[in-house]
Amino acid sequence: MADTAFEAELKAFEGRTVGGPQVARDPVNQPMIRHWCDAIDDQNPVYTEPELAQQSIHGSIVAPPTMLQAWTMRGLRPPPQPESSEANASEDVLALLDDAGFTSVVATNCVQEYRRYLHPGDHLSVTTTCDSVSPEKQTALGIGHFVTQRQTYFDADGEEVASMLFRILKFKPGTGAAAGG
Amino acid sequence: MNRETRGYDNVEVGDCLPELTLPLTPTLIISCAIASRDYQDVHHDRDLAVARGSKDIFMNILTTNGFVGRFITDWAGPEALLRKVDIKLGAPNYAGDTMTLRGTVADKADGVVTVEVIGQNELGPHVTGKVEVTLPAAAK
Repeated sequence: MADTAFEAELKAFEGRTVGGPQVARDPVNQPMIRHWCDAIDDQNPVYTEPELAQQSIHGSIVAPPTMLQAWTMRGLRPPPQPESSEANASEDVLALLDDAGFTSVVATNCVQEYRRYLHPGDHLSVTTTCDSVSPEKQTALGIGHFVTQRQTYFDADGEEVASMLFRILKFKPGTGAAAGG
Repeated sequence: MNRETRGYDNVEVGDCLPELTLPLTPTLIISCAIASRDYQDVHHDRDLAVARGSKDIFMNILTTNGFVGRFITDWAGPEALLRKVDIKLGAPNYAGDTMTLRGTVADKADGVVTVEVIGQNELGPHVTGKVEVTLPAAAK
């Protein structure tokens, strides 16, 4: 049965900035675009062919919009993050759920919206806000809470270029339909 | 891919996109994870993925987004503008499986076409969602 004090504690995260601004290690650049296009086998010429990109609606090379997150991923050797309570709050809400036994995680939704295409040289930063934490729910995977976070991406001038809503389910392993309740 | 950009006026609700079938090789899953700078072990290390309860390594979400985007622009053409990719995630894309992406034009309004997308593997739907893409009035 859901613990109302615990749920109130989770609710308190809603609307809080829980991460960032985190600055991309590198600006948008052609080599990373090329690696991505090779891996995805995306042959759209506006991503990799300068002459065609120049004659296109974009006027020059652009990055695949769906590559958005790649620019600000922390990578294999994450640089140290500035100490701030805000930067740690995202982990706090997840740690709170972990401590309560909701240790498994699965991503359920991802919504990306693009205000404009990005060109090589654009240097992104991203902030993360906790959008919502659901009440306890019985799902097919188990008993859990949906945590929805919103990431907002800015260029070097502080203009918003894209946003992403990302929803995960934190659940108790072994409490789903497959486990027989 | 289609090197000519599709015209908004030439698209009808109900149009089907050409299917995209992807054999999910370890090379595909790993190269895409690394290209998206996602180094979580479940996307490249089979032993650790199995130890964590997975059948095999599996595709990361950034890659799913990438293939959905490519699936749309392969059909729509190079000057189509992706506006919104809204996906729901389902069965994992494990190495060794095959995913087939299918799409249908669900709506069109004010130069923006909405395509409903589903990507299925042998376990069921891996991804379902909607993509909004802006097209020029006439093909170019």
